[in-house]
This record gives sequence, C-alpha cells and structure tokens, in this order.
Amino acid sequence: MSEYIVEMRHITKRFPGIVANDDISIGIKKGEIFAFLGENGAGKSTLMSMLFGMYEPDEGEILVRGEKVKLSSSNEAAALNIGMVHQHFKLVDNYTIAENIILGIEPIKKIGGFIPYVDCKGAQEKIRELSKAYGLEVDPCQIVETVNVSIQQRVEILKMLYREAEILIFDEPTAVLTPQEIQYLLDIMEELRNKGKTIILITHKLEEIKRIADRCAILRRGKLVKVLNVNETTTQEMANLMVGREVVFEQEKSPANFGEVLLEVEDLTVRNEDKFDVVKNVNFSIRRGEIFAIAGVSGNGQIEIADAIAGLIKPQKGAIKLKGKDITDESIRRRTEDGMSYIPEDRQRLGVILDFSLEDNLAIKRYYREPFSQKGILKREGFQKFAEELIDRYDIRSGQGAKTTTRSMSGGNQQKAIVAREISLESDLMIFVQPTRGLDIGAIENIQKHILRERDKGKAVLLISLELDEVMSLADTIGVIYNGELQKISPAEELTTNQVGEYMMGVKS
Amino acid sequence: MDTIMIDGLSFALPLFIMAIGGIYSERSGIVMLALEGLQGFGAFVGAMTVILSRFYLGNSSPYLIYIAMVAGMIGGSLFSIIHALLCVKFKARQVISGVVVNTLAVALTTFLTSVINGIITGEASNKFQIGVSSRFTVPVLSEIPIFGGLFKNMYPFEIVILVIALYCWYLLYKTKFGLRLRACGENPHSLDAAGGDVGKTQFIAIMICGALSGLGGIFIAYSVSGIFSPTIYMGYGYLSIAALIFGNWKIPRTFAVCLFFGFARSVVYQLLLKLGMPSNYTDLFLILPYVLTLLLLIFFSKHNHPPRAVGEIFDKSKR
Repeated sequence: MSEYIVEMRHITKRFPGIVANDDISIGIKKGEIFAFLGENGAGKSTLMSMLFGMYEPDEGEILVRGEKVKLSSSNEAAALNIGMVHQHFKLVDNYTIAENIILGIEPIKKIGGFIPYVDCKGAQEKIRELSKAYGLEVDPCQIVETVNVSIQQRVEILKMLYREAEILIFDEPTAVLTPQEIQYLLDIMEELRNKGKTIILITHKLEEIKRIADRCAILRRGKLVKVLNVNETTTQEMANLMVGREVVFEQEKSPANFGEVLLEVEDLTVRNEDKFDVVKNVNFSIRRGEIFAIAGVSGNGQIEIADAIAGLIKPQKGAIKLKGKDITDESIRRRTEDGMSYIPEDRQRLGVILDFSLEDNLAIKRYYREPFSQKGILKREGFQKFAEELIDRYDIRSGQGAKTTTRSMSGGNQQKAIVAREISLESDLMIFVQPTRGLDIGAIENIQKHILRERDKGKAVLLISLELDEVMSLADTIGVIYNGELQKISPAEELTTNQVGEYMMGVKS
Repeated sequence: MDTIMIDGLSFALPLFIMAIGGIYSERSGIVMLALEGLQGFGAFVGAMTVILSRFYLGNSSPYLIYIAMVAGMIGGSLFSIIHALLCVKFKARQVISGVVVNTLAVALTTFLTSVINGIITGEASNKFQIGVSSRFTVPVLSEIPIFGGLFKNMYPFEIVILVIALYCWYLLYKTKFGLRLRACGENPHSLDAAGGDVGKTQFIAIMICGALSGLGGIFIAYSVSGIFSPTIYMGYGYLSIAALIFGNWKIPRTFAVCLFFGFARSVVYQLLLKLGMPSNYTDLFLILPYVLTLLLLIFFSKHNHPPRAVGEIFDKSKR
C-alpha cells in the first residue's frame, strides 16, 4: 500500500470553454491537514468535487487507500468514508439538528415489531456522544434556523462524523465565520486530525493555512503550481505563488488631508423587526478626505447603521445630514442624487441583479438619465459604451464583455463591477460595507486601492468591515461598535489592534 | 340538527382527504393545483368500474363500494403520473402542468363517459348513474345529544378516509419516507447531499396525492351526488387547496379547517331552507363560508409558512 490515503493522478477536467483542472497529480497522507490554496476560479473546488463524486474527471485516475476507484456519485464517496462540508450548507432549516444529521441514513425502530418509525431519541443520544468526543457543542433538539452559522457548520461536520467519514473535505469553511468562530473551527480541525482523520482544506486565506495545515498545494488557473511543506515557507511566498506576482499586503497610504464635514449622524437609533434597538444613540461625523471605519464583531449593529444612512431602513429616531442637509426621510434615489454611493454587504442580493447583463447592472443607478435614455426610452449604445469604459478602467473580467450575464462572473469581478459603478457616480460620500468579504488576495488588493484613491480625491468614506486588519490598515478614524453603541471614536494612529479588539468585545469602555 | 351534522361531515371529509393529498405533494416541493382534475378522474374511473362491475355482481352487491374506492384511487394515481412526469422528469412549470391536468381531466372524462355510455346503453349520455352507497348508523354513539348526528347515516367512505388520514399523518411525521419527503419541500439539496433520491420521493408523493384525490372524488360521486357527470368539477379540488393553505400545510389543522368548511356550509344551507328563499338567492348565500374564509386568510396568512422550496425546480448542479 502506498503512503497516501488519497492519490489523484494526471487529473484533467474541462468545462465548456475552460480547462478547470489541467493534468494535476497530488497525494494526500493519512492523518494530515492538506490545504488547497488558490484564487477564486483556480480549480480547487472542482478538483475536490471529483474526489467527492460530484463530477467525473475527463482524464486521469483517483486512488483511495491504494485502490483505483471510480466515483460517480456522492454516495460512492460516502461509502469510501469521504465526507464534505460544502461552502453553502445543505441543511433543512426547520428540522432539528438531529433530524438533519440522520437524514438519508435514518435509524429505524419498530412499534410492536412491525410498524416502523424513525428513532430520533437514539439518534440524539449518539449525536450527543459524538459532539462530546470531538468538542463540537450542539443541542440535537434545537431547530437549525434558530442557531447561528457557526453551529450550523458544526452540524455539517457532525453529519460527516455520524457517517463515519475518515477523509473530511472542507470547502472554504471560514468564509462565513467571525474571527472567534474561525478560531474555534481551526481548533476543531486540529482535534480531528489528532484523532486520526485526514483533513482537506480548500481556502484562499493564508493565515489559516499557516496556522493549521501540514502541507499545501497551490493552484493557479487550473494548474498545480507547487506543493509546499507549510512550516518551511512564508505567507509571502504562498501569496506570490498563488497570484503569480509580487503581492502587496500593506497598502501605501498618503497622509490624510481632511476637508469640511460631509456626513453627520446624530442620535441615530435603529430598531429591528423584533422591536429591539440594534443601534442606540449613535453620533459621528465624517470629513472630506477621511476614511471612517466602524469596527466590531458581526451583528453588533454596524450593518444597520450603513443601511439607515443609505435609506434601506428607517431609523427610529435621530438625524442624518449630508452636506448640512437633513436626508433622514428622503428616498434612496434622492440620496444617490445628493451624492451618496453604497456598496452593500450582500452583493449578490442588493448589489447586482444576477440575471441581468453586466452593462445593465453598471447602469442601474442612472438608467433614467442621459446618455442611458432619452425621453424615457432606453439607448442601448449608451449602456454599452459606458460599460466598456468601466470594464477597461477597473479591469472587470467577464466572458463576453458588456453582455455577460452577471451570474456567470466570479465573486471578485462582481464586486469590482459594483465598486466601479458606485465610484463612477462621483458621489461625495462612499459607503463600503464588507467590501472585500470572500474575495481572494488579488481582488482585495484591487478594491482597497480604490478605497484609498477615493479618499485621496477628497471623498468621505464610511468603511464597515469585520476584518480588523483591513480596518487598521485603511482607516483614518476608527469607531468601535459593541451592542449597538459606539464605544470609542478615535484617530486610527492612537489605537492598537489589541485595544480595538478589547472595545469590540465590550471588555473596555 | 342531525342533518347539519350528517351533511357537514360528508362535505368535510372528501375535502380533507384531497387536502392531505395536496399536502403530500406540496411538502415534497411540487405545487399541486391539479387536485380538481385528479379527483374528477378518480371519480370517473371509480364510477365506470361500478357500472361495469354491476354486470357481474348485481346492483346491490356490498363489494361495489370497496371496488369503487380502490378503482378511484388507482385512477387518480395513474392520472397524477402526467403531473409527476411533467414536473419531476421534464422539470416543467408546476403551475402550468397543474392547469393542464385539470383541463385535460374535464375534457377526457366527459368524452370517455359519452363513448362508454354509447357502447353500453346505446345512448351517448355524459352521466354514470351509480346511485348512493349504503349507509349505516353507529349504535350507542349516535344517541349522544347534539353530536350524535355525526354518527348517524354514515357512509363507509367516512371511516375509510379517517383511517387513511391517520395513517398519512403517521407516514409524514414519523417515518423515514416522511422525513425525506418534507426535506424535499424545504431544501431538496439537503436530501441529495445525504444520498437520498429527490426525484423518486417527489414522484411517489404526487402519486399518493393522486390516489387520495381519487378517493375524495369517488366519495363525492358515490354518496353526495349519486352520479358521475361533469358537475363533479365544481371546485372541490380548489376548495381543498384553500383548506390546506389555511391549515398551514399541516394535517391536523387542515382537518379543523375542512370541518369548519363543511359545517359552515351545512348550517347556512339549512338556515336558507328554513327561511324558504328562492333558489337563486340561496346560491348567493352559499358563498358566505368562502367569503369568511377569504377574510380569515387575510388575517392568518402572515403566520403561514409554505414549504420553502415549493415550486422550485430541483437542479442538482445549482448550488
């Protein structure tokens, strides 16, 4: 038997118009954490989907425990004790955690020996034991939709363990988690490895790999670039290999040059659907040429502040003033015309219409004005010309140029399109909510560069980010939010990362 | 009083069993507007079987009623295969498929009835005269004041429906099949990832729906109206859709709603008889229960939760 538990030899997979995997050979040892690193669209998910039986390779072979296998469905993969935690969870929201875990392999008992029923009690017991053994705390009786994403992810992990999986594939598991939850997950993964499981981690986050992975394969545009021993390399080297050029982590920032006050938020209180105040008496102002960043743990009211300013939700009380004018009760279109740009957190739901073409999405905030329409009739040439200009200037990559359906573009390029559209409005106030969430290093670099450029042009920027590093490297002024209240507002250079962290946790006040 | 009870129950129960069929289909993720057509086709097959069986068994055979039930269920489920094929196999729009099934049922059964009547009697009537099934009264229970009426003059159908309904509830909530079926309606990808077969589960759910609707249809034909004719398509199917929505896609609540529909209708009907109004006005007043339903729906809809993935076409590769 070979030293590898999983071996993939000369795997090639083609999709129409693209080679997703090009002659990739790789071996994974039992009991290691093996990471796949690559930008969005580099082919790492495709490669692992073949190991999980979701696609079949066009060329090459897969060996599991030294034996050649043909995987044509996820059932066959499961029979070989391979499990996968998908990026988008596959859970039934209104089922209990236990019901979700047993779905597909339900334990059956019989009343009086002949009327079968699903043995939920027994399953709950078994899940409790598993969850204790691996430190994955869950209450099997809870309904899935009432627990947070971090716990939902534990349910997905337990689902694999319940099926006695030995090889565990994690597809971008930390994309949806807060920093604390990521910490917890990484600990769990180490625990799993220590208990003899083999773990395959698909990610584009370097720190995670550096922290827990043993070996790491770097993929770029469908090709295997290199397999590295993680403790013999640096994050810089991995980043360069992944992007294919020298990567700049720290953005160069010119000294601030503040102008007059542009946005004033006074006594802002926002109430959510459950009649609970999620933002409480928040006061702050932003000047021209300033990046004001709100730091905080997810769910502390920062998104609601942005939504209230942008007009998506109506504040309970308080005033919002743009250039001295009260805009609290104005419509979203009026706000846009008054000079406000908004890059929302949920880009696929609020940022673009996925089934519209790129040119339509780029014009969507201005379609009613010239050159996009005349006397209420759309001028397609105007759309196209404008789109081509932005595609060129912002390096938006798409299959068929301006006519590409937005859904078919990668997340990074969708975000570039939104940023391009919002910047092209030439608004005085730019609101960025989680602008780099889920993007790979190349795209993050690009977006952050644009944020700084806007500031240098004399725009006021409100940045809301859960990434503390991003806040620390971009902000001129930091406001830390905890439990709906701004705990601290201070120039960025007077705060250390640790201090901000303490305010975020509500430890310091 | 007794009449109200008897009529109420015999109106409510066929609605109820059809609504359960609808619940099975919708909770597996398939929109079910075809109840009307399925009950009609089930009634047609049931009635035709009764007419044909009479030649061999005679007019008063006690077996006729059971033959009718089985035939009605088989007829309904066979006809539902059209909907299942269109929705599951060919991934058609489910609303359109439902409407197609309904229209097709009306046309097909009317035509076939005339043809079959033509062969048997030489007269192309569009009716099957099957009469009303025998009835029975439960001793002791029927002596209870007021509610005793519920147990008088019962149709054998009513007992069968209640037993089947109870089993359907058990199947949906306590068994492996039920767990998978409900998962299909909420998030079919979850079942797919767990190794279940979404298409097969939905196909079976639709056929169960067909069988239950067929049973409801033959009940109406063989008891309340006593004939099979195109008048069977008078909206029972749509009413049971309203019942299951009002019942929040849950079997016990839907039962309560059906009883409410049934008794509200029989109370209004008896009242109108007492008042002795001309018949065109009675028709107008008979819509009262439905107007009431509409109003209630407006108030309760907010708290209703349809299955999350109902109407969504399941595509394995979409994530």
